[in-house]
Amino acid sequence: MEAKANSASKCSCRVFEFLESSIGKKIMVAAAGLLLCGFLITHLLGNLLMFVGGDAFNKYAEALEHNPLLPIAEIGLVALFVVHIILAYRATYLNRAARPEGYQVYKGKGARTPGSRTMAITGTLVLAFVIIHVATFKYDVGGFKGMAGEEGLFAHVLGWFANPWYAAFYVLAVGGVGLHLSHGVQSAIQTFGLNHPRYTPLIKKAGLAFAGLIFLGFASFPVYFGFIKNCMSCAGGAH
Amino acid sequence: MNITLKVWRQKNASEAGALVEYTVSGVVPEMSFLEMLDTLNEQLVAKGQDPVAFDSDCREGICGMCDLMIDGQAHGPDKGATTCQLHMRRYKDGAVVTVEPFRAKAFPVVKDLCVDRSAFDRIQQAGGFVSINTGNAVDGNAILIPHDKAEKAMDAAACIGCGACVAACPNASAMLFVAAKVSQYALLPQGQPEREKRVLAMRDAMDNEGFGHCTNEYECEAACPKEIKVSNIARLNREYLRATLVTE
Repeated sequence: MEAKANSASKCSCRVFEFLESSIGKKIMVAAAGLLLCGFLITHLLGNLLMFVGGDAFNKYAEALEHNPLLPIAEIGLVALFVVHIILAYRATYLNRAARPEGYQVYKGKGARTPGSRTMAITGTLVLAFVIIHVATFKYDVGGFKGMAGEEGLFAHVLGWFANPWYAAFYVLAVGGVGLHLSHGVQSAIQTFGLNHPRYTPLIKKAGLAFAGLIFLGFASFPVYFGFIKNCMSCAGGAH
Repeated sequence: MNITLKVWRQKNASEAGALVEYTVSGVVPEMSFLEMLDTLNEQLVAKGQDPVAFDSDCREGICGMCDLMIDGQAHGPDKGATTCQLHMRRYKDGAVVTVEPFRAKAFPVVKDLCVDRSAFDRIQQAGGFVSINTGNAVDGNAILIPHDKAEKAMDAAACIGCGACVAACPNASAMLFVAAKVSQYALLPQGQPEREKRVLAMRDAMDNEGFGHCTNEYECEAACPKEIKVSNIARLNREYLRATLVTE
């Protein structure tokens, strides 16, 4: 019994040590980050139904909402965000502390990328966006539901995108996601210990392409439904 | 030629420092950067002033002592070179050059440009060794090692522990140094008996010294005078993950 309890406490101690270690923290942030990428893909595919039509999108949204497994998936998703954000912020805090007195001149040798330089900033931007996004689209803060006279999520989304400030913020935020991913994808793969002279250059390019696709995909909704379609209807109205 | 230097002057570890401007005269293009600093010190001594304290030893790029941040770049602008291998032909007459010590919490300034890098020694002592009795030199091919592994281990073993990786890293992380030391043993059969123990102990020592986390900025690889690859950091990551999982 004692031996069992001992090994159990040793095990939990090992888990804690891993999470507190610099490398363990990175691996957890990377794993959560890549799983969040999986969420981005499914979310983007679901949203693309808006281009198929309002009915298709609404049906998809309703099916999702009535799925009994949804709360479990949501808890998992929140857990991923929490792990990713808390460990990343903690690492950032410790990294700042690792150089209490900075350089008067700090130039480096050109290895950093715009994405890698701004991970904390884009991460914070995305966090702010996610809070606003969930508040407005899921919990209807600001109250649009039913106002447009058309029931369903599609009308709700269009209602928000009609506000150019909201649409512009949406584009800015998904730009932040893209920039974050431009560094994050290849960085996560390196953190898992995958580095190969032949595949790593390919992985870096694939990471950039993925970041670009995610940005273009998500930005297409506010740009089309917020700006292009509204302008077209303006122009149509003028005729 | 004349060079204007902005040098970090700091009396000791506890007092605050600042950049002080000096003009060095009589610099010739053939001088190394360190010889230019020697010239500055001769001129300072002639004026009865305190010479600038800086580290150097072999002055041929193999000892890793000359650790200077020159215009915001560890070891200066050249690729794959230490400060002693940087020559004044790189600069034009009248150039203004800022010289600072390597900065990290784990590398406290001792005086002026000298920092205490004994944190690296303590990491090395934690696991950067093999404790087998090597005895006499063994027969050449008694232990078979694939050529590519031997080459990779030699590449990792080229690390001179200068600390440029830490100095260049935006997070003051020592991952490239530790990765090189872990890799050189992990790749070879002689390193296998302590493979897991080593990586766990060296990671622990690294974090305890107060170095930052690696965020894969790759500035370490760009700054390394021995051009150690970040693929070693990937190896360190998987060695650590593996050791965490398999160690009883």
